[in-house]
Amino acid sequence: MDPFLSKYSEDLMPVFVGDPPALAGFEMDAQIGFIEDFMKAGAAEFKLLYFVCAFNFKLLASLMKLKPWSRLDMSDKQAVANKLFGSRNPLLRSVVVLCGLPLYISYYRRHDVQVPLGFDAKALKDEASLRSVSRDRSLPSK
Amino acid sequence: MIFNLDDIKGDVKRSADVVIIGSGAGGAPLAKELSGEGYSVILVEEGAKFDREKDFNLNPTQSFMRMYRDAGQTLTLGVPFVLLPLGKTLGGTTTINSGTALRMLRPILKKWHTFHGLSDITEEELNLLYAHLEEYLFVQRADPEVAGPVARTFLAGAQKLGLSSGWLPRNAKECEGYGTCVFGCPSGAKQSMDVSFIPDAVKNGTDVYTCCRAAKITTKGGKATGMTGFFVDPFTGKKTGHKIELEARVVVLSGGAIYTPFFLLRQGGLANSSGQVGRNLEIHPCVQVVSLMDEPMNPPKGIPQSSYVDEFKDEGVTLEGGTVPPEIHALALTGAGNKHAALMSSYPNMGLFGAMISDTDSWGRVVNLPRSGYSPTMLYMLKGEDVRKAKLSTLLMSEIWFAAGARKVFTPFAGHYEISSPRDMKALEQSKVRAADIYAMSAYHPVGTCRMGGDPESSVVKHTCETWDVEDLYICDGSALPTSAGVNPQLTIMAISMRCAGFIDDRLSNKK
Repeated sequence: MDPFLSKYSEDLMPVFVGDPPALAGFEMDAQIGFIEDFMKAGAAEFKLLYFVCAFNFKLLASLMKLKPWSRLDMSDKQAVANKLFGSRNPLLRSVVVLCGLPLYISYYRRHDVQVPLGFDAKALKDEASLRSVSRDRSLPSK
Repeated sequence: MIFNLDDIKGDVKRSADVVIIGSGAGGAPLAKELSGEGYSVILVEEGAKFDREKDFNLNPTQSFMRMYRDAGQTLTLGVPFVLLPLGKTLGGTTTINSGTALRMLRPILKKWHTFHGLSDITEEELNLLYAHLEEYLFVQRADPEVAGPVARTFLAGAQKLGLSSGWLPRNAKECEGYGTCVFGCPSGAKQSMDVSFIPDAVKNGTDVYTCCRAAKITTKGGKATGMTGFFVDPFTGKKTGHKIELEARVVVLSGGAIYTPFFLLRQGGLANSSGQVGRNLEIHPCVQVVSLMDEPMNPPKGIPQSSYVDEFKDEGVTLEGGTVPPEIHALALTGAGNKHAALMSSYPNMGLFGAMISDTDSWGRVVNLPRSGYSPTMLYMLKGEDVRKAKLSTLLMSEIWFAAGARKVFTPFAGHYEISSPRDMKALEQSKVRAADIYAMSAYHPVGTCRMGGDPESSVVKHTCETWDVEDLYICDGSALPTSAGVNPQLTIMAISMRCAGFIDDRLSNKK
């Protein structure tokens, strides 16, 4: 596993995903493993952009709160992320959008997270299979 | 026969009447039609063929990583950056699209006649082709019972406001509503190319090579004579070491509106005496509004894109429904940390609807910049009139959601992410928004980058789809459409493809 990817993702996961009520906790290794695969399969520049944005996010958080990253508490980090999301400056917003993208996907793709939210692939498949659909039914004209 | 990577044990060297590069809405109908006329046809596709049971398994991220170009991370460069997902699998983007099957808007064809010298493409001819396609692909309106609560609720809101709306026609036969059309239909109800034209083409004798990337179109004396390429691992893009060399009487490029111009530009600008290859990129930029409702919406259930509101279609705005699984929904909501987590916990009570904008003054182009891997660069700038349409459609969707009973809605405009009162609506309405304010914009339906036209100085292909510059080289995909079709273009691309098949048939018969 890429140590930089690991370190950045581990630091940023709770900042972005937060602590979703009534949902499973992080599975850091599995989620970071997924992020690594996702980046391998994706555009070559995406990983580099992720690193640049993650680095800049940490830098911005420290500058905005006037404390080093290691001394910022989670609520400060999340407040900075939310401020950047709300920014009308597209460059500042891109920093958090690009950081957040793989982190959100890695967490919300997990089966144990999706099921309580109502996305249970197996149940959906079973339910859809039971549905009787026929081309002979009358369908709307508009 | 369909040759998968496992079947390729050495270099392939063959000849055929017709070689088609790309198996999407442009290439697949051509393969079926021409092989049906008795011509030998070889179809090559860079993506892999997937197994319906094993691979079409309602796993969105797996599908992104296997069936989409760059794992779904294809972004345009410009303001705002726009996610432009493209398929890379047998059937092209039709395998991972929503299945909406609409005819082109009439005024658009008039525009083609007036401004692009395409009066040879008549409405009567297109209507015949559309009718044939609609029958062949089982196009019918979405079944409201299968559509799901999000679509039903949104339409109820639109009807309350008296807006023109209805159920979308889709190329789906007995759709069960798995809810994952854009990740590959698990049952094969959606009549994408891999379950319709391609199997029929194969029955007619077409040979299909998957995991095969075209590298070069060979020419001799100003005529296309075949293609060379190589086999690649569909997931890593690495060459397997085996090559393909095909001789043909006619070569058709059907790689789509992004990869077709990229391919030509990489070949030093083949068929580009007009300088138009890669230019005139038109897309359908989309914005989405998420609603928070009191009652459960069960967003994953039903047909993700089943309904529409077309009250403002003359202004280039059509609302088309869309529901997405949690990992994509999470990206549509702005914010981070516990604020975002709290919103995501309301996912079961959320609805999402999208607006498709027919771009007017925006600017786009596909260029070949040095990048690692096999990826074109897409430049795109969303401009004033289209930003206005994005705002108009956001306000319209918000109004409809509120009419349907939403507690609050979430928009993509910075400074106006959350709207929970008429005052918030007014603030968005009165604000001067910029392209840079739009968060998480996606776009679909790229067209126009090798446009068809009556003048060789301003177009790349004739109305027959043959290139002006290279005899026997045809371009038949979204890139050949001179402008956006005003609606989801798959049916129009197929119609143009069927039309093109007739011209290729004429050419080959005259050559005999």
